[in-house]
Amino acid sequence: MSRRRTPKKRIVMPDPVYDSRLVELLVRQLMREGKKSLAYRICYESMNQVADTTQQDPLVVLEQAIRNATPLVEVKARRIGGSTYQVPLEVAPERGTALAIRWILSACRNKSGRPMAMKLASELLDAAKNAGLAVRKRDEVHKMAEANKAFAKYRF
Amino acid sequence: MKLISTSQSSHSGGRKTAIAQVQLIPGSGGTIVVNGKTAAEYFQNNAVYLQNLLTATDLVKTEAKYDAHVVVQGGGLSAQAQAVRLALSKAFVEMFPDYRKAFKKPGLLTRDARIKERRKYGLKKARKAPQFSKR
Repeated sequence: MSRRRTPKKRIVMPDPVYDSRLVELLVRQLMREGKKSLAYRICYESMNQVADTTQQDPLVVLEQAIRNATPLVEVKARRIGGSTYQVPLEVAPERGTALAIRWILSACRNKSGRPMAMKLASELLDAAKNAGLAVRKRDEVHKMAEANKAFAKYRF
Repeated sequence: MKLISTSQSSHSGGRKTAIAQVQLIPGSGGTIVVNGKTAAEYFQNNAVYLQNLLTATDLVKTEAKYDAHVVVQGGGLSAQAQAVRLALSKAFVEMFPDYRKAFKKPGLLTRDARIKERRKYGLKKARKAPQFSKR
C-alpha cells in the first residue's frame, strides 16, 4: 500500500432489499469465490429466519448483533528494543464493524452440519442476546487488551 | 435481433461483453420490456439486478410516461443489467437534459471500462505465473 497518502474511503452502496449498508458489508464478507448472488440468497434467507423466530425487524436484530460483537480495543504486536509487546489500541468504528462481521461469519463457518443460512441466523440471534462465539471472541480480545494495559504507553 | 431506429430516443450501453439497446417509447405505465419479457421476469426477480435498472428510472419521475423497449445480448445477467442501466440513463438524459447532473453524479453515464484481461503466453492466466523453481 502506498505510504504517501491515505487511501480514499470507498462508499458502500446499500443493499437492494433492506436498503442497509450493514447488510451489504455482511454479504460481501459472506461471498466466496465471487458468488455474490449466492451470498445474497444465504443472507436474506437467514434474515427471514431471524424475522420468523423473533417477530422483529431483522435489521434491528442484525444491528444489535453487530454492535454486541464490535470490539472497542484490540492488541497489536509491536517490537521495542528486541522484545515484542502486545500494545492495546482503540479500534476505529469502521474497523470495529468489519471485525464484528468477520467474527460472526467465522463463528458460523466453524460450526458444521447445517446450512450456512441457518448457522448465520442462529449466530445473529445469539450475538443479539450478547451470547455466542463472536461475542466471546470480542470478550477475549477485550481481556487481552486489559491484561496488557501496562504497555499502552507504547501506542502508535 | 435489431432495433428499428425511429425518432424516439434510442441508445445503447455496455458492460463487460453485454450490449444493451434501449428505445424509449411514449407510453403509459413506465414498463420495461427486456428481450420480450418484463424486466422482473427477465432478471429472475433478482433484487440486485433489478435495482440496477431502478436506480436509473427512479431518478426520472417523468419516466412514467415512457415505456422502455430493451434488447440485450452477450455477457452474464449482472453485466446485462448494468448495460441496460447505462443505456437507459443515456436515453433519459437525451430526453431530459436537465437531469444530466443527477445522472452524472452517481456515475450512471460512464461506461465501466473494465473487461476481461487476456491470457498471456508463459503465464497460467492473465497475471498468474507458474510456480518459480530454481532448478
